[in-house]
Amino acid sequence: MLGKMIGKVALERTLGKFLEDDSHLVLGFEEKGKEVGHRIFKNDLKGFTLVNPFFSANGALYLRRLFSKGAEIILMLRPCEIRAYHELVKLNQIEAEKIVAVSIDCAGASSLKDPGKPRTACQSCREKRGVIGDAGIRFDAKGVPWLLPYTEKGEEFTRLIEGEAEEIPPFPDKEERGTEKFSTNMEAFSEELAHCIMCRNCKAMCPVCYCIDCVFNGDEYLPKGDALLNKVFRSGSLEMPQGKELFHMIRMFHVSQVCVGCGACEEACPQGIPLTKYFKGVSERLQSMFSYMSGRSLEEEIPYLSFQEDELKDAED
Amino acid sequence: MTEEKEKNPEIVGFACSFCTFKASEMAGSLRMKYPDGIKLIQVPCSSRVDPAFVIKAILDGADGAFVAGCHPGDCHFIKGNYFTRRKIAALKEMFDAFSMKDKLRLFWVSAAEARRFVEKVTAMYGDIKEKKNAG
Repeated sequence: MLGKMIGKVALERTLGKFLEDDSHLVLGFEEKGKEVGHRIFKNDLKGFTLVNPFFSANGALYLRRLFSKGAEIILMLRPCEIRAYHELVKLNQIEAEKIVAVSIDCAGASSLKDPGKPRTACQSCREKRGVIGDAGIRFDAKGVPWLLPYTEKGEEFTRLIEGEAEEIPPFPDKEERGTEKFSTNMEAFSEELAHCIMCRNCKAMCPVCYCIDCVFNGDEYLPKGDALLNKVFRSGSLEMPQGKELFHMIRMFHVSQVCVGCGACEEACPQGIPLTKYFKGVSERLQSMFSYMSGRSLEEEIPYLSFQEDELKDAED
Repeated sequence: MTEEKEKNPEIVGFACSFCTFKASEMAGSLRMKYPDGIKLIQVPCSSRVDPAFVIKAILDGADGAFVAGCHPGDCHFIKGNYFTRRKIAALKEMFDAFSMKDKLRLFWVSAAEARRFVEKVTAMYGDIKEKKNAG
């Protein structure tokens, strides 16, 4: 496979040239003193950085319902963010035509709540390598970045960078981790949710939980006021806030096939509930049923949206 | 000595109006009996059942739930029950992860199979009742 070795300067020069057009944008990371965060760059690339050691939110969140009106965008994001972007494209939430997605090798990030320590989601990450999207930036054994095109759009982007394509060196790949089936029970789950305050931040920050009309809007699933009193008179005393398990389990099922396991929900939780463990564990289990991996490619169909006539013989009782 | 009262489970069933619900009506007209604890909810197609309904039924106190529809390939809407099969199979896997797999079942019962319908729901009711009274 051919790729191009790129220095930081060459890359920034190329992106800078790309940004000279007013309708061109770059979504990437910006360094501000000690802090690093997302930024959509327009016209200039001030403060741009490739690597973000902190995870605050999943960048694909900002792309939801993006039907780029003539704007060309280059995404320079982590693999988990590009995977979430792929899922949103498959769910028709993003018009991908004018977007070039570049995934960057990620060494894992630490939480802003607990700097220095690797996050649960990063420790059990399924794909840290920049092998996803239209192109990838990978670091070789010496830490030199290489740009690798994977699709036509990626090739086009690679051509913008000066220099000849060379044969790529081997990259230091980490070993695969074991696939242990996640298992728990309702008692343990309820106990972990004891501090949940139902603020629904996890839902708001989840990049793939995209429904405009969420089932939890309105009184059907999480009754309030009169509807709540009716429920109490009908079925007895209720723990408040009620419906914690219901909310998390329904959300867990709804995102199960598209969850990329980025841990943005846990990051957003003000109560520090270990949501990643459950969401990632369950979604990996359900995805493995259909040999699916969320966001791996744009061609793979989301399992719930397709079927085969002859399958799942043992599903029936 | 107080005699222990037998606990009767309640089971919520989502039945497709073209097959399973018709079968349950036929079972009624043939005077076949199935347990009182089975509460059927008629849905236009088994694929109308969002797994959220099942999760809500279970977490709001039902002892079990089942989703029933036409045999694969016989769906009134051509391919609805293929989607049901994927969704409910995945939901079962999720219930398995939470150690409550026995609470959910998926049946295929056509409109003519009144006896099969009665057998299936009675067997499920029996199993769940046994577990409930054992604990």
